[in-house]
Amino acid sequence: MTKLIIRRLFWTIPVILLVVFVTFMMMRQIAGNPFRTSERVIPEAIQRNLEQKYGLDKPWYIQYATYVKNVATFDLGPSLVLRNRTVNDIVKTHFPVSMELGLYAMLFAILFGVPLGILSALRANSWFDYAAMTFSNIGYAVPSFLVATLLIYYFALQWGGTFNFPTSGWNTWESKVLPTVALGLGPMAYFARLVRGTMLETLQQEYVRTASAKGIRWHRVVVVHVLRNSLIPAVTAAAPLLGFIITGSFVIEQIFAIPGIGRYYVTAVNARDYSVVMGLTVLLSVLIVIANMVVDILYGVLDPRTRDART
Amino acid sequence: MTSNPREEELRVEGQADEERRFDRATATAQPVRQTNLWKDAYFRYIRNKGAVVAAVVFLLFVLYAALWPIVSPYDPYKVDFAEANMRPTLEHPLGTDRFGRDLLTRTALGARVSISIALMATLAILVIGVVYGAISGFVGGHLDNAMMRLLDALYGLPYLPFAIIMIAIFGGASFWTMVIALSVVSWFTEARIMRGQVITLKENDYVRAARAVGARWHRILARHLVPNTLGVLIIAIFLSIPSIVLAEAFLSFIGLGISPPNASLGSLAQDGRAVYRVHPYQIIIPSVAIATLVLCANFIADGLRDALDPRTRET
Repeated sequence: MTKLIIRRLFWTIPVILLVVFVTFMMMRQIAGNPFRTSERVIPEAIQRNLEQKYGLDKPWYIQYATYVKNVATFDLGPSLVLRNRTVNDIVKTHFPVSMELGLYAMLFAILFGVPLGILSALRANSWFDYAAMTFSNIGYAVPSFLVATLLIYYFALQWGGTFNFPTSGWNTWESKVLPTVALGLGPMAYFARLVRGTMLETLQQEYVRTASAKGIRWHRVVVVHVLRNSLIPAVTAAAPLLGFIITGSFVIEQIFAIPGIGRYYVTAVNARDYSVVMGLTVLLSVLIVIANMVVDILYGVLDPRTRDART
Repeated sequence: MTSNPREEELRVEGQADEERRFDRATATAQPVRQTNLWKDAYFRYIRNKGAVVAAVVFLLFVLYAALWPIVSPYDPYKVDFAEANMRPTLEHPLGTDRFGRDLLTRTALGARVSISIALMATLAILVIGVVYGAISGFVGGHLDNAMMRLLDALYGLPYLPFAIIMIAIFGGASFWTMVIALSVVSWFTEARIMRGQVITLKENDYVRAARAVGARWHRILARHLVPNTLGVLIIAIFLSIPSIVLAEAFLSFIGLGISPPNASLGSLAQDGRAVYRVHPYQIIIPSVAIATLVLCANFIADGLRDALDPRTRET
């Protein structure tokens, strides 16, 4: 077990370096630089001074080395466009908002999706199962911007008198309900389908039959034998779902005008704010890499059979 | 080794016949159904009603996207403010947008672009994934280990930031930019599948047996690798199409997609978004089109999985 953890930790470092490298090289390919745009005319001398200040005049490998060194010390550098603001500042203001939104959406997905999947599996092929699965299949296919727009249209505008949800913002709890549902609906449907599938598989296992044959009451069989074994695969789904939620938050933050990372990211790309785009990309990628690592280790803890295969 | 491949084929068929007779002789009560993989898969697929309906709807949708812009009486690009924002009527079954363009025609055009992007990106994903997986599987050893660890670690990487950077690199979104941007971090699953198949080919007993009786490598490729891999890759294609369609829609929706007057389903939804308070149908129509595509492709993928890989069949 310790071997697995150490191995996994060891592999994370080169992967993060590679991600930083690829992002860095990609950013360098973007034409133009923030100080040489057509909109603002800046004298040549000032341009050179600015480039010198931010190290843009150095060869790429020195820039890369400096960048890696800074990232290693959790310093993502200054913003190239907003004066006197560092990427760390931007992360500090916008990241908690996105985190909160993502967390709520994930909670929503788990709290509603997992029970829905469990109940569907236990009443397989009943009307409840069909209704739940139709709902999940549709919830998984409908793009979140439609969900968001419909939620705003009905719950904030049409029936605004009864519900009183605001159309945008992220301050009161009312303003957080609609974005959470809009972002969490897809993952919820995903969880429901996944849990239903693994539950049905587990219900057919022989140890389940043995357990009920021994006379153990059915709800005890379900709780002790079925649930435990069928919820493990749901853990592996958590990391890809994090990616799903990050992607979704770009759109949802845009629609609800939520001051999070996703909305800021698009602004930063358009303003060619290299260091912000790079910093945020590196941050999100590292988050995924770490989530994958945690999931792998957790999977090893929960399901001892996978330990050997993965070390 | 100058034997005619056709002859070899016949000889093997003869062998199969012998086997069948042997089977009949030993089989007790149960009749043995002899059929090839694809026929068998076809029959299993046909029995899945949801998957058949999904396939029909998908096909009709593709036909609508391909043909309607040609036969439609309306020009999808012609602006006519006198006809702007018309609710669905007999003349315009899906209404018109704020520039007076017929939405039935525009949606077909958008679907055409969205589907083409999804197909091209899926092709790119397959090529990258197959090459990466094949190298990893064939070479093996430390390289394989390193390549797979990389996939493990990067699995689930959000495509959106990278797609946005790619679009910035190419200085705006065009058809091919979108294809590249959407395939660049989406090939991990396909690479894994391919590697798994290659390793099976290298190590599995039936392949070893085939080699032991003197089957040449192209025969092993044609009889074992391709049929086994093709099924899994076809499923992967139908799983990849909906995610690319959605990804493209997301990119277009945040304003980084195909630029007007061209349209994709995502950019149509974005156009509709501007007027959703007054004319909600304008965002609902392209979104429903996206959902239909995604739903059908998912059902087809499920059906194909049950048909082609009975071992993983759900109950």
